[in-house]
Amino acid sequence: MSNPHQPNSNEPTTHFGFENVPESQKAEKVAEVFHSVAARYDIMNDVLSGGMHRLWKRFTIELSGVRRGNKVLDIAGGTGDLARKFSSLVGPEGQVVLADINASMLKVGRDRLLDKGVANNIRFVQADAEKLPFPDNHFDVVTIAFGLRNVTHKEDALRSMLRVLKPGGRLLVLEFSKPSNPLLSKFYDAYSFKFMPLAGKLITDDADSYRYLAESIRMHPDQETLKAMMNDAGFERVTFHNMTGGIVALHRGIKP
Amino acid sequence: MLTQFALASAERAVNRVLSLDSTAQARLAPLAGKVIAITCSMPAFTVYLIPLETGIQLAKEWQAPADCTLSAPAKLLIKLVTRTDKSAVLHHPDVSLDGNSALLMELADILQSLELDWEYEVSRWLGPVPTALLSGHLRSRSRWLSQSAQSLHLNAADYLAEESRALVGHIEADMRFTEIDQLTLDLDRLDARIALLLKRNQKPL
Repeated sequence: MSNPHQPNSNEPTTHFGFENVPESQKAEKVAEVFHSVAARYDIMNDVLSGGMHRLWKRFTIELSGVRRGNKVLDIAGGTGDLARKFSSLVGPEGQVVLADINASMLKVGRDRLLDKGVANNIRFVQADAEKLPFPDNHFDVVTIAFGLRNVTHKEDALRSMLRVLKPGGRLLVLEFSKPSNPLLSKFYDAYSFKFMPLAGKLITDDADSYRYLAESIRMHPDQETLKAMMNDAGFERVTFHNMTGGIVALHRGIKP
Repeated sequence: MLTQFALASAERAVNRVLSLDSTAQARLAPLAGKVIAITCSMPAFTVYLIPLETGIQLAKEWQAPADCTLSAPAKLLIKLVTRTDKSAVLHHPDVSLDGNSALLMELADILQSLELDWEYEVSRWLGPVPTALLSGHLRSRSRWLSQSAQSLHLNAADYLAEESRALVGHIEADMRFTEIDQLTLDLDRLDARIALLLKRNQKPL
Protein backbone atom coordinates (compact mmCIF):
# COMPACT_ATOMS: atom_id res chain seq x y z
CA MET A 1 0.00 0.00 0.00
CA SER A 2 1.36 3.44 -0.88
CA ASN A 3 1.99 6.09 1.75
CA PRO A 4 -0.04 9.25 0.95
CA HIS A 5 2.75 11.42 2.40
CA GLN A 6 5.41 9.75 0.24
CA PRO A 7 5.80 11.83 -2.91
CA ASN A 8 5.14 10.00 -6.14
CA SER A 9 8.05 10.66 -8.54
CA ASN A 10 5.62 11.17 -11.45
CA GLU A 11 3.43 13.67 -9.57
CA PRO A 12 3.61 17.24 -10.82
CA THR A 13 5.21 19.70 -8.43
CA THR A 14 4.33 23.19 -7.41
CA HIS A 15 6.07 25.87 -5.40
CA PHE A 16 5.71 26.25 -1.67
CA GLY A 17 7.62 29.46 -1.17
CA PHE A 18 10.97 28.90 -2.94
CA GLU A 19 10.70 25.17 -2.38
CA ASN A 20 9.23 22.73 -4.93
CA VAL A 21 6.78 20.26 -3.44
CA PRO A 22 4.42 17.66 -4.92
CA GLU A 23 1.04 19.28 -5.63
CA SER A 24 -0.76 17.00 -3.20
CA GLN A 25 1.37 18.33 -0.33
CA LYS A 26 1.02 22.08 -0.89
CA ALA A 27 -2.42 22.48 0.67
CA GLU A 28 -1.28 20.56 3.74
CA LYS A 29 1.85 22.66 4.12
CA VAL A 30 -0.08 25.92 3.68
CA ALA A 31 -2.59 24.67 6.26
CA GLU A 32 0.27 24.10 8.73
CA VAL A 33 1.44 27.69 8.23
CA PHE A 34 -2.00 29.12 8.90
CA HIS A 35 -2.73 26.81 11.84
CA SER A 36 0.47 28.17 13.34
CA VAL A 37 -0.31 31.88 12.81
CA ALA A 38 -4.13 31.92 13.18
CA ALA A 39 -4.21 33.07 16.82
CA ARG A 40 -2.02 36.13 16.18
CA TYR A 41 -2.93 36.72 12.55
CA ASP A 42 -4.54 40.14 13.09
CA ILE A 43 -1.78 41.57 15.24
CA MET A 44 0.84 40.34 12.77
CA ASN A 45 -1.05 41.90 9.86
CA ASP A 46 -1.04 45.25 11.67
CA VAL A 47 2.62 44.99 12.64
CA LEU A 48 3.91 43.85 9.25
CA SER A 49 1.84 46.22 7.12
CA GLY A 50 1.88 49.14 9.57
CA GLY A 51 -1.94 49.05 9.48
CA MET A 52 -1.93 49.50 5.68
CA HIS A 53 -3.88 46.26 5.15
CA ARG A 54 -6.96 48.04 6.51
CA LEU A 55 -6.67 50.72 3.78
CA TRP A 56 -6.09 48.11 1.07
CA LYS A 57 -9.25 46.31 2.22
CA ARG A 58 -11.21 49.59 2.30
CA PHE A 59 -10.33 50.18 -1.33
CA THR A 60 -11.41 46.61 -2.18
CA ILE A 61 -14.83 47.31 -0.65
CA GLU A 62 -15.11 50.60 -2.55
CA LEU A 63 -14.46 48.85 -5.87
CA SER A 64 -16.76 45.94 -5.12
CA GLY A 65 -19.88 47.98 -5.96
CA VAL A 66 -21.76 45.96 -3.36
CA ARG A 67 -25.38 46.96 -2.74
CA ARG A 68 -28.11 46.21 -0.27
CA GLY A 69 -29.45 42.67 -0.69
CA ASN A 70 -26.37 41.38 -2.58
CA LYS A 71 -24.84 37.95 -2.00
CA VAL A 72 -21.11 38.14 -1.29
CA LEU A 73 -18.55 35.35 -1.06
CA ASP A 74 -15.31 36.16 0.76
CA ILE A 75 -12.85 33.36 -0.04
CA ALA A 76 -9.83 32.86 2.24
CA GLY A 77 -11.69 35.32 4.45
CA GLY A 78 -9.39 34.59 7.39
CA THR A 79 -10.35 36.64 10.40
CA GLY A 80 -13.28 38.29 8.64
CA ASP A 81 -12.17 41.90 8.03
CA LEU A 82 -13.90 42.11 4.65
CA ALA A 83 -16.85 39.92 5.62
CA ARG A 84 -17.70 42.18 8.57
CA LYS A 85 -17.87 45.28 6.39
CA PHE A 86 -19.79 43.46 3.65
CA SER A 87 -22.27 42.21 6.25
CA SER A 88 -23.27 45.77 7.21
CA LEU A 89 -23.38 46.90 3.55
CA VAL A 90 -25.66 44.12 2.25
CA GLY A 91 -27.98 44.40 5.25
CA PRO A 92 -30.35 41.75 6.59
CA GLU A 93 -31.81 41.06 3.14
CA GLY A 94 -28.36 40.19 1.74
CA GLN A 95 -25.97 37.37 2.57
CA VAL A 96 -22.24 37.06 3.17
CA VAL A 97 -20.39 33.75 3.08
CA LEU A 98 -17.01 33.67 4.77
CA ALA A 99 -15.12 30.72 3.30
CA ASP A 100 -11.67 29.48 4.22
CA ILE A 101 -9.96 26.17 3.62
CA ASN A 102 -8.26 26.41 7.00
CA ALA A 103 -10.37 25.41 10.02
CA SER A 104 -8.22 27.37 12.49
CA MET A 105 -8.52 30.61 10.55
CA LEU A 106 -12.25 30.07 10.05
CA LYS A 107 -12.73 29.49 13.78
CA VAL A 108 -10.83 32.67 14.68
CA GLY A 109 -12.86 34.61 12.10
CA ARG A 110 -16.18 33.17 13.26
CA ASP A 111 -15.46 33.86 16.95
CA ARG A 112 -14.30 37.37 16.18
CA LEU A 113 -17.37 38.24 14.11
CA LEU A 114 -19.79 36.70 16.61
CA ASP A 115 -18.09 38.68 19.40
CA LYS A 116 -18.71 41.84 17.41
CA GLY A 117 -22.38 40.96 16.94
CA VAL A 118 -22.12 40.07 13.23
CA ALA A 119 -24.37 37.05 12.91
CA ASN A 120 -27.70 37.57 11.19
CA ASN A 121 -26.65 37.53 7.53
CA ILE A 122 -23.36 35.65 7.57
CA ARG A 123 -22.44 32.00 7.06
CA PHE A 124 -19.13 30.30 7.65
CA VAL A 125 -18.05 27.58 5.24
CA GLN A 126 -14.84 25.56 5.17
CA ALA A 127 -14.21 25.31 1.44
CA ASP A 128 -11.46 24.86 -1.12
CA ALA A 129 -11.26 27.79 -3.56
CA GLU A 130 -10.61 25.35 -6.42
CA LYS A 131 -13.87 23.45 -5.81
CA LEU A 132 -16.35 25.94 -4.37
CA PRO A 133 -19.40 24.14 -2.94
CA PHE A 134 -21.96 26.67 -4.20
CA PRO A 135 -24.46 26.69 -7.07
CA ASP A 136 -23.68 28.32 -10.41
CA ASN A 137 -24.54 32.04 -10.85
CA HIS A 138 -25.16 32.55 -7.13
CA PHE A 139 -23.06 35.51 -5.90
CA ASP A 140 -23.00 39.18 -6.89
CA VAL A 141 -19.48 39.72 -5.57
CA VAL A 142 -16.62 37.31 -4.87
CA THR A 143 -13.48 38.52 -3.08
CA ILE A 144 -10.24 36.80 -2.23
CA ALA A 145 -7.81 38.86 -0.18
CA PHE A 146 -4.27 37.61 0.34
CA GLY A 147 -5.38 34.07 -0.42
CA LEU A 148 -4.83 33.33 -4.10
CA ARG A 149 -1.06 32.90 -3.80
CA ASN A 150 -1.62 29.98 -1.41
CA VAL A 151 -3.89 28.14 -3.85
CA THR A 152 -2.22 25.22 -5.67
CA HIS A 153 -4.10 25.52 -8.98
CA LYS A 154 -4.87 29.22 -9.38
CA GLU A 155 -6.48 28.76 -12.81
CA ASP A 156 -8.94 26.20 -11.39
CA ALA A 157 -9.74 28.54 -8.50
CA LEU A 158 -10.42 31.46 -10.88
CA ARG A 159 -12.69 29.26 -13.01
CA SER A 160 -14.52 28.09 -9.89
CA MET A 161 -15.05 31.73 -8.81
CA LEU A 162 -16.36 32.57 -12.29
CA ARG A 163 -18.83 29.69 -12.06
CA VAL A 164 -20.39 30.82 -8.76
CA LEU A 165 -20.65 34.47 -9.85
CA LYS A 166 -23.86 35.76 -11.43
CA PRO A 167 -23.47 37.29 -14.92
CA GLY A 168 -22.36 40.87 -14.29
CA GLY A 169 -20.92 39.84 -10.93
CA ARG A 170 -17.50 41.10 -9.84
CA LEU A 171 -14.41 39.21 -8.71
CA LEU A 172 -11.90 41.17 -6.67
CA VAL A 173 -8.46 39.71 -6.04
CA LEU A 174 -6.42 41.60 -3.46
CA GLU A 175 -2.92 40.20 -3.38
CA PHE A 176 0.72 41.06 -2.92
CA SER A 177 2.36 41.88 -6.21
CA LYS A 178 5.49 43.37 -7.77
CA PRO A 179 6.61 46.89 -6.74
CA SER A 180 6.89 49.18 -9.75
CA ASN A 181 9.86 51.16 -8.42
CA PRO A 182 13.28 49.36 -8.36
CA LEU A 183 14.39 51.28 -5.27
CA LEU A 184 11.20 50.38 -3.42
CA SER A 185 11.69 46.80 -4.60
CA LYS A 186 15.13 46.62 -2.97
CA PHE A 187 13.86 48.03 0.30
CA TYR A 188 10.88 45.68 0.16
CA ASP A 189 13.15 42.64 -0.35
CA ALA A 190 15.25 43.58 2.67
CA TYR A 191 12.09 44.17 4.69
CA SER A 192 10.49 40.87 3.62
CA PHE A 193 13.44 38.57 4.11
CA LYS A 194 14.98 40.17 7.20
CA PHE A 195 12.32 42.01 9.20
CA MET A 196 9.29 39.79 8.54
CA PRO A 197 10.81 36.49 9.79
CA LEU A 198 12.28 38.36 12.77
CA ALA A 199 8.89 39.88 13.67
CA GLY A 200 7.32 36.43 13.22
CA LYS A 201 9.88 34.95 15.60
CA LEU A 202 9.35 37.66 18.22
CA ILE A 203 5.55 37.81 18.12
CA THR A 204 4.42 34.29 17.20
CA ASP A 205 7.66 32.36 17.83
CA ASP A 206 7.42 31.16 14.24
CA ALA A 207 9.95 32.61 11.81
CA ASP A 208 9.40 29.89 9.17
CA SER A 209 5.77 30.81 8.49
CA TYR A 210 6.73 34.41 7.81
CA ARG A 211 9.68 33.34 5.67
CA TYR A 212 7.12 31.31 3.65
CA LEU A 213 4.93 34.45 3.42
CA ALA A 214 7.81 36.44 1.92
CA GLU A 215 8.77 33.63 -0.46
CA SER A 216 5.20 32.95 -1.58
CA ILE A 217 4.78 36.64 -2.44
CA ARG A 218 7.82 36.46 -4.74
CA MET A 219 6.45 33.34 -6.45
CA HIS A 220 3.00 34.88 -7.03
CA PRO A 221 2.24 36.09 -10.58
CA ASP A 222 2.83 39.80 -11.17
CA GLN A 223 0.08 42.27 -12.08
CA GLU A 224 0.03 41.63 -15.83
CA THR A 225 0.30 37.84 -15.49
CA LEU A 226 -2.60 37.66 -13.05
CA LYS A 227 -4.65 39.92 -15.33
CA ALA A 228 -3.98 37.54 -18.23
CA MET A 229 -4.92 34.56 -16.02
CA MET A 230 -8.23 36.21 -15.15
CA ASN A 231 -8.90 36.93 -18.83
CA ASP A 232 -8.07 33.30 -19.70
CA ALA A 233 -10.43 32.07 -16.98
CA GLY A 234 -13.27 33.95 -18.71
CA PHE A 235 -13.48 37.28 -16.90
CA GLU A 236 -14.08 40.46 -18.88
CA ARG A 237 -13.02 44.08 -18.36
CA VAL A 238 -10.17 42.96 -16.11
CA THR A 239 -8.34 45.90 -14.55
CA PHE A 240 -5.86 46.23 -11.73
CA HIS A 241 -4.94 49.02 -9.33
CA ASN A 242 -1.50 49.18 -7.75
CA MET A 243 -1.40 50.21 -4.13
CA THR A 244 1.59 51.29 -2.04
CA GLY A 245 3.84 51.36 -5.10
CA GLY A 246 2.68 47.98 -6.41
CA ILE A 247 3.46 46.05 -3.21
CA VAL A 248 -0.22 45.14 -3.31
CA ALA A 249 -2.50 45.07 -6.35
CA LEU A 250 -6.25 44.83 -6.59
CA HIS A 251 -7.51 43.00 -9.69
CA ARG A 252 -11.13 43.30 -10.71
CA GLY A 253 -12.93 41.27 -13.35
CA ILE A 254 -16.57 41.01 -14.44
CA LYS A 255 -18.38 37.80 -15.35
CA PRO A 256 -19.83 38.21 -18.85
CA MET B 1 -3.60 55.83 0.09
CA LEU B 2 -3.38 59.19 1.91
CA THR B 3 -6.98 59.95 0.94
CA GLN B 4 -7.99 56.47 2.12
CA PHE B 5 -6.24 57.13 5.43
CA ALA B 6 -7.92 60.53 5.83
CA LEU B 7 -11.34 59.05 5.01
CA ALA B 8 -10.81 56.09 7.35
CA SER B 9 -9.89 58.49 10.18
CA ALA B 10 -12.85 60.77 9.44
CA GLU B 11 -15.20 57.79 9.29
CA ARG B 12 -13.94 56.52 12.64
CA ALA B 13 -14.41 59.96 14.22
CA VAL B 14 -17.93 60.44 12.76
CA ASN B 15 -19.04 56.98 13.89
CA ARG B 16 -17.58 57.55 17.36
CA VAL B 17 -19.62 60.75 17.65
CA LEU B 18 -22.75 58.99 16.31
CA SER B 19 -22.35 56.25 18.90
CA LEU B 20 -22.65 58.89 21.65
CA ASP B 21 -26.26 59.58 20.62
CA SER B 22 -28.45 56.66 21.59
CA THR B 23 -31.04 57.42 18.89
CA ALA B 24 -28.72 58.16 15.95
CA GLN B 25 -28.28 54.57 14.76
CA ALA B 26 -32.02 53.90 14.88
CA ARG B 27 -32.66 57.06 12.85
CA LEU B 28 -29.97 56.10 10.32
CA ALA B 29 -31.44 52.62 9.81
CA PRO B 30 -34.12 53.68 7.24
CA LEU B 31 -31.37 55.27 5.12
CA ALA B 32 -29.11 52.21 5.29
CA GLY B 33 -27.56 51.19 1.99
CA LYS B 34 -28.38 54.44 0.16
CA VAL B 35 -25.48 56.17 -1.56
CA ILE B 36 -24.99 59.95 -1.35
CA ALA B 37 -22.28 61.46 -3.57
CA ILE B 38 -20.88 64.85 -2.57
CA THR B 39 -18.89 66.41 -5.39
CA CYS B 40 -16.77 69.46 -4.66
CA SER B 41 -16.09 71.44 -7.84
CA MET B 42 -13.37 73.67 -6.38
CA PRO B 43 -11.10 71.90 -5.37
CA ALA B 44 -12.26 68.87 -7.37
CA PHE B 45 -12.99 65.74 -5.35
CA THR B 46 -15.90 63.43 -4.60
CA VAL B 47 -16.80 61.75 -1.34
CA TYR B 48 -19.47 59.07 -1.02
CA LEU B 49 -21.53 58.77 2.15
CA ILE B 50 -23.21 55.44 2.74
CA PRO B 51 -25.41 55.39 5.84
CA LEU B 52 -25.52 52.00 7.57
CA GLU B 53 -27.31 50.66 10.65
CA THR B 54 -24.03 50.97 12.54
CA GLY B 55 -22.88 54.38 11.35
CA ILE B 56 -21.75 56.05 8.14
CA GLN B 57 -19.25 54.69 5.64
CA LEU B 58 -17.15 57.25 3.76
CA ALA B 59 -15.57 56.31 0.45
CA LYS B 60 -13.46 57.96 -2.22
CA GLU B 61 -14.91 55.74 -4.95
CA TRP B 62 -18.13 53.79 -5.04
CA GLN B 63 -19.00 51.59 -7.98
CA ALA B 64 -22.73 51.38 -7.22
CA PRO B 65 -24.79 54.32 -8.59
CA ALA B 66 -25.53 57.19 -6.19
CA ASP B 67 -29.11 57.78 -5.02
CA CYS B 68 -28.41 61.47 -4.51
CA THR B 69 -25.62 63.69 -5.88
CA LEU B 70 -24.81 67.10 -4.47
CA SER B 71 -22.32 69.25 -6.41
CA ALA B 72 -21.04 72.59 -5.13
CA PRO B 73 -17.81 74.53 -4.57
CA ALA B 74 -16.11 74.01 -1.18
CA LYS B 75 -17.24 77.42 0.10
CA LEU B 76 -20.92 76.53 -0.36
CA LEU B 77 -20.45 72.99 1.00
CA ILE B 78 -19.05 74.50 4.21
CA LYS B 79 -22.05 76.85 4.38
CA LEU B 80 -24.35 73.84 3.94
CA VAL B 81 -22.69 72.05 6.84
CA THR B 82 -22.70 75.02 9.19
CA ARG B 83 -26.05 76.69 8.44
CA THR B 84 -29.33 75.55 9.91
CA ASP B 85 -31.34 76.98 7.00
CA LYS B 86 -30.05 74.77 4.18
CA SER B 87 -32.65 75.67 1.55
CA ALA B 88 -31.14 79.15 1.01
CA VAL B 89 -27.76 77.59 0.14
CA LEU B 90 -29.34 74.82 -1.96
CA HIS B 91 -31.01 77.44 -4.17
CA HIS B 92 -27.65 79.04 -5.02
CA PRO B 93 -26.94 78.79 -8.81
CA ASP B 94 -23.58 77.03 -8.19
CA VAL B 95 -25.25 74.22 -6.24
CA SER B 96 -26.76 71.27 -8.09
CA LEU B 97 -28.71 68.47 -6.48
CA ASP B 98 -29.69 65.36 -8.46
CA GLY B 99 -31.69 62.34 -7.38
CA ASN B 100 -33.45 61.88 -4.05
CA SER B 101 -32.78 65.19 -2.27
CA ALA B 102 -34.92 64.17 0.73
CA LEU B 103 -32.25 61.59 1.51
CA LEU B 104 -29.59 64.26 1.90
CA MET B 105 -31.85 66.52 3.96
CA GLU B 106 -32.75 63.65 6.26
CA LEU B 107 -29.11 62.73 6.80
CA ALA B 108 -28.22 66.39 7.44
CA ASP B 109 -31.09 66.61 9.93
CA ILE B 110 -29.86 63.54 11.81
CA LEU B 111 -26.31 64.89 11.97
CA GLN B 112 -27.44 68.35 13.10
CA SER B 113 -29.80 67.18 15.80
CA LEU B 114 -27.37 64.87 17.60
CA GLU B 115 -27.62 64.91 21.37
CA LEU B 116 -24.31 63.58 22.52
CA ASP B 117 -24.07 61.76 25.81
CA TRP B 118 -20.51 62.92 26.47
CA GLU B 119 -20.82 62.06 30.19
CA TYR B 120 -21.06 58.37 29.29
CA GLU B 121 -17.85 58.62 27.25
CA VAL B 122 -15.99 60.49 30.01
CA SER B 123 -17.24 58.03 32.64
CA ARG B 124 -15.69 55.15 30.67
CA TRP B 125 -12.29 56.78 31.21
CA LEU B 126 -12.65 58.46 34.63
CA GLY B 127 -15.34 56.40 36.37
CA PRO B 128 -18.83 57.48 37.47
CA VAL B 129 -18.00 59.57 40.60
CA PRO B 130 -15.32 61.84 39.05
CA THR B 131 -17.54 62.23 35.99
CA ALA B 132 -20.52 63.31 38.10
CA LEU B 133 -18.32 65.85 39.95
CA LEU B 134 -16.76 67.12 36.72
CA SER B 135 -20.07 67.37 34.87
CA GLY B 136 -21.75 69.15 37.84
CA HIS B 137 -18.90 71.67 37.93
CA LEU B 138 -18.95 72.17 34.14
CA ARG B 139 -22.73 72.55 34.13
CA SER B 140 -22.66 75.25 36.84
CA ARG B 141 -19.79 77.07 35.02
CA SER B 142 -21.72 76.87 31.77
CA ARG B 143 -24.89 78.22 33.43
CA TRP B 144 -22.90 81.08 34.99
CA LEU B 145 -21.27 81.91 31.64
CA SER B 146 -24.59 81.86 29.81
CA GLN B 147 -26.27 84.09 32.45
CA SER B 148 -23.29 86.47 32.46
CA ALA B 149 -23.34 86.73 28.67
CA GLN B 150 -27.08 87.44 28.69
CA SER B 151 -26.71 90.05 31.42
CA LEU B 152 -23.80 91.72 29.60
CA HIS B 153 -25.88 91.85 26.43
CA LEU B 154 -28.85 93.49 28.19
CA ASN B 155 -26.67 95.98 30.09
CA ALA B 156 -24.76 96.95 26.93
CA ALA B 157 -28.03 97.40 25.02
CA ASP B 158 -29.46 99.56 27.83
CA TYR B 159 -26.35 101.71 28.05
CA LEU B 160 -26.10 102.29 24.27
CA ALA B 161 -29.82 102.96 23.80
CA GLU B 162 -30.78 104.81 26.98
CA GLU B 163 -27.70 106.38 28.57
CA SER B 164 -25.22 107.23 25.84
CA ARG B 165 -27.97 107.50 23.15
CA ALA B 166 -25.41 106.15 20.67
CA LEU B 167 -27.95 103.72 19.26
CA VAL B 168 -31.70 103.73 18.94
CA GLY B 169 -33.50 101.18 21.12
CA HIS B 170 -35.53 98.34 19.64
CA ILE B 171 -38.92 99.68 20.77
CA GLU B 172 -38.17 103.22 19.61
CA ALA B 173 -36.86 101.95 16.27
CA ASP B 174 -39.92 99.75 15.77
CA MET B 175 -42.26 102.70 16.47
CA ARG B 176 -40.36 104.92 14.02
CA PHE B 177 -40.42 102.18 11.34
CA THR B 178 -44.18 101.76 11.86
CA GLU B 179 -44.66 105.55 11.45
CA ILE B 180 -42.57 105.50 8.25
CA ASP B 181 -44.56 102.55 6.91
CA GLN B 182 -47.82 104.36 7.70
CA LEU B 183 -46.55 107.55 6.04
CA THR B 184 -45.54 105.58 2.92
CA LEU B 185 -49.02 104.04 2.78
CA ASP B 186 -50.69 107.46 3.22
CA LEU B 187 -48.55 108.93 0.45
CA ASP B 188 -49.39 106.04 -1.87
CA ARG B 189 -53.09 106.52 -1.17
CA LEU B 190 -52.77 110.28 -1.75
CA ASP B 191 -50.98 109.65 -5.04
CA ALA B 192 -53.73 107.31 -6.12
CA ARG B 193 -56.40 109.82 -5.11
CA ILE B 194 -54.71 112.66 -7.05
CA ALA B 195 -54.35 110.40 -10.10
CA LEU B 196 -58.07 109.55 -9.90
CA LEU B 197 -59.07 113.22 -9.62
CA LEU B 198 -56.90 114.18 -12.59
CA LYS B 199 -58.47 111.40 -14.61
CA ARG B 200 -61.97 112.64 -13.76
CA ASN B 201 -61.06 116.25 -14.70
CA GLN B 202 -59.73 115.17 -18.08
CA LYS B 203 -63.01 113.47 -18.98
CA PRO B 204 -65.06 115.45 -21.61
CA LEU B 205 -68.32 116.88 -20.23
